[in-house]
Amino acid sequence: MNLYKYASPANFYPLAGKMIPWFAIPSAILFAAGLYVGFFIAPTDFQQGDAYRIIFIHVPSAWMGMFLYVLMAIYAGIGWAFNARLASMMASAIAITGAMFTLLSLVTGALWGKPTWGTYWAWDARMTSTLILLFLYIGFISLQSAIDDTRRADRAGAVLALVGVINVPIIYFSVQWWNTLHQGASIRILGKPTIAAPMLAAMLIVLAACWFYSVAVVLIRLRCIILEREQNASRFAEVNA
Amino acid sequence: MNWPDLSMGGYGFYVWGSYIFALILIVGEVFSLKQRKKTLRQQQNEHQQQMSSSVSPSVLTGSANETTS
Repeated sequence: MNLYKYASPANFYPLAGKMIPWFAIPSAILFAAGLYVGFFIAPTDFQQGDAYRIIFIHVPSAWMGMFLYVLMAIYAGIGWAFNARLASMMASAIAITGAMFTLLSLVTGALWGKPTWGTYWAWDARMTSTLILLFLYIGFISLQSAIDDTRRADRAGAVLALVGVINVPIIYFSVQWWNTLHQGASIRILGKPTIAAPMLAAMLIVLAACWFYSVAVVLIRLRCIILEREQNASRFAEVNA
Repeated sequence: MNWPDLSMGGYGFYVWGSYIFALILIVGEVFSLKQRKKTLRQQQNEHQQQMSSSVSPSVLTGSANETTS
């Protein structure tokens, strides 16, 4: 089997269509399972009461916002460096979903901040850098839609996406580098997590759900983008025939 | 299994507000993608009707030539 075959949008289109249910259905199951563990099994926190239950959507959405940004930048970079159309289309398909998760993490963070810190918003390093992440996504989307020539739009978007990647480690390490209002990481790659097992389980299951969800919607959007670009190209060909 | 206290110990607005906002975003995204697909299908049908020879877009048959610009 020639895997390179799927680097062509026309060949990837039907494959993407077949893949969508394999991500959409597990996503729905995992969302239900994660919320079940989060609301029915995880106990009430002794310090924050039930307000902490926002964590099950806040942390996964924040991670997805950062992860999707890096993924978008990688695809945009590949599309630019190797002139691979499908990779550039993938970057455009990821942008909206990434922006959505970033917005979700900001809103749920604000709703969590009010009862625990007494304020919806503070110009804290982590919150500010996450807001910048949202602006980077919006910048990428508007820049691409402002340029008519799709390949030029892809290249311009790639430059913006790659420069903006620097913001992701800033968000991640902000709680260590600066004295922030935002709490430190609950989960570390090295060492024990600082939260109880059912809480951690619920968070990780919702994270998996968000990941499956993202793959499904990104593939649906990618198929739309492939068709749209194909249509534009064929119209252009007719006009110039 | 223990049923959660629906008032969330007084934090109901914040907790349910977060989840309702998440639901709105997800439903909104899925719905807007459905609309986008529908519009594309309609455009494609119109386009095919316009062309006397019913050549389907190559992307659907999977025989497009990979061209780089």
